[in-house]
Amino acid sequence: MHTKHGIAVSPGVAIGPAFVLGVEDFRIPHRYVSLDAVDAEIVRFRCAIENVCREISDNEKLASEQLGTQYGAIFAAHLQMARDPKLLGEVEALIRDNHYSPEFALSRVLGQYAKVLQNLGEMYKADRAIDLYDLEKRLLRQLLGERREELSHLTAPVIVLARDLTPSETATLPRQYVLGFATEVGGYTSHTAILAGALGIPAIVAVGDLVTDVSGGETVILDGVDGRIIVDPDEDTIAEYRQSEERARSVAQRLVSQRSLKSETADNTRVWLMGNIEFPEEAEHCKELGADGIGLYRTEFLYLESSREQTEEEHFEAYRNVVNSFPDQPVVIRTLDLGADKVPSQMPSLYPEGANPELGLRSIRLSLTDLERFKTQLRAILRVAQLGDVRIMFPLISSLLELRQAKSTLNDVMEDLEDKGVPFNSDVQVGMMVEVPSVPLLAEDFAREVDFFSIGTNDLIQYTLAVDRSNPAVAKYYNSADPAILRMIRMVVEAGEKHDVPVTVCGQMSSDPKYAPLLVGLGIRQLSATPYVIPQLKEVIRNLTIPQAESIAAHALKIELARDVETYLRGELNKLCPDLAK
Amino acid sequence: MTSETTSQREVTVNLENGLHMVPCSRIAEHVRDFVGEVSIHVEDRSVDAKSIFDLLTLRAPFGTVLMIEAVGKDSEDLVNGLATLFERNFEPE
Repeated sequence: MHTKHGIAVSPGVAIGPAFVLGVEDFRIPHRYVSLDAVDAEIVRFRCAIENVCREISDNEKLASEQLGTQYGAIFAAHLQMARDPKLLGEVEALIRDNHYSPEFALSRVLGQYAKVLQNLGEMYKADRAIDLYDLEKRLLRQLLGERREELSHLTAPVIVLARDLTPSETATLPRQYVLGFATEVGGYTSHTAILAGALGIPAIVAVGDLVTDVSGGETVILDGVDGRIIVDPDEDTIAEYRQSEERARSVAQRLVSQRSLKSETADNTRVWLMGNIEFPEEAEHCKELGADGIGLYRTEFLYLESSREQTEEEHFEAYRNVVNSFPDQPVVIRTLDLGADKVPSQMPSLYPEGANPELGLRSIRLSLTDLERFKTQLRAILRVAQLGDVRIMFPLISSLLELRQAKSTLNDVMEDLEDKGVPFNSDVQVGMMVEVPSVPLLAEDFAREVDFFSIGTNDLIQYTLAVDRSNPAVAKYYNSADPAILRMIRMVVEAGEKHDVPVTVCGQMSSDPKYAPLLVGLGIRQLSATPYVIPQLKEVIRNLTIPQAESIAAHALKIELARDVETYLRGELNKLCPDLAK
Repeated sequence: MTSETTSQREVTVNLENGLHMVPCSRIAEHVRDFVGEVSIHVEDRSVDAKSIFDLLTLRAPFGTVLMIEAVGKDSEDLVNGLATLFERNFEPE
């Protein structure tokens, strides 16, 4: 029995056999192989080469027949590359002599070739390097990728262990067979984590070495509460977990049974609890959990899910599904927040790979660059806004100019719809995300120009504390409880109160029950959270009075260190709702 | 009786874009099954004709004169076959 630790991102406990997934995205899992494995690895490499040659020959035939022999000739050249004796010799030598894994050896050798060819000047320019990349991808896919398809062939419940899962892989996990999952990389706020929470699958991320240490088939306990994975647990441990699983289930049942109760404090102050969703189907789930509306509808998944551009009608249909679940309650639609870690497959060309994508062309900046796509979405939102209390929210606004440009685009779209006689709602509320530190600093100026604020803590923390949330080496510097963050929230709330602009908190912070008393104490009256925590948040709020919350906030604001704030808040939650404290 | 022979022949690159990827692959394909060594020389450089990656480093634009050399059984046939490829400008027969 051994235990590994990671970050708990979706609560719950699962016990079952391990299922190890291959590596995607052609990241190389291990660079070295053990001495005894060398021969087997060479055989594996040769098999991959053979399969790739077969693939390329098929493509050559297809291209020659359908496009003409000159296109077939390109694949014929690829075939000669895959069979190149020098390439094969060098890769096999690296495996044999340096004990490199085939994957690592291959990308080393091809990387060198690409460099040589690129240095040859005009004649071979960069296009040769693309051919090499294609070959490398094919080979790596052969060496690593094919096991991945096994996910769709599951026939019994398992716990999935993987280096990483993409958001769309997470979204399409066969839920009846996936009891939980653990990944080597990822962070608390990665989209995979967010989706796991939304789907209610227990999950932990950032476990470190996992897929190399577990071969598959072993019994594992996945503890999505404490962020632990126990491989080959003993009988006592299993029994203990089965018991706590039982307890957790009964608490959850009690909480869900309170869904029709209003979300208000013990002294009758209303605190609206809304859901964060990615998929229209989740709206119904939010309703079942007693949500007061949708506080954040992340529309980019419309783009990430499909391999082609979405039409205005498709946007409209998706939004209408959500509005149908909440015809009389707010549905806040956030415009596209693409870029950085979310790049749809159908438009990679739009995303030049900057060294620093989080600071690059993403989110509202991308929408303002690609106005046609932006307008398509705005038209759909304005049309659907006739059917309910739909609100528009712009993400990642960093300056007044950006906000004004986004609003003027919205006005253009309204005029256009009016000219064409298309019915829409011209009174739609327009708000913005508070995610960049420049906004809290200038909150009063922004407050004059929007109908509402929504604080997206994930990005606000990342940009304020300069932490890449998905990099395990620095993830520990990412902390919602940082005094700088608490003060920024306070600044936004104060500006909002002055200008009568309501403030919601919709980041991962609002999905953690221990922050609810603090946020209410800071003056927040609207929280938008991952759906499954809504019942827990309601429990906290119903046990809380405003003076209590304000004293918690006042005390927290005086603490100097993030970890002390966290400890204090955990203690307060334990006093309020011992059931929910971890 | 088999005999190891060395054969040489000069060819000129008549391709407008020089000896780029597709013709290089035709050369490698042609010599692939030859038992023995085939090299192509230009000025003071020489490459292994069985390796497309090696061939690509030749940098042979239009008009370059190359020396083909093969060592092995039936080297003459091989060299002549390669020369024909160059003469046909790598067009299929």
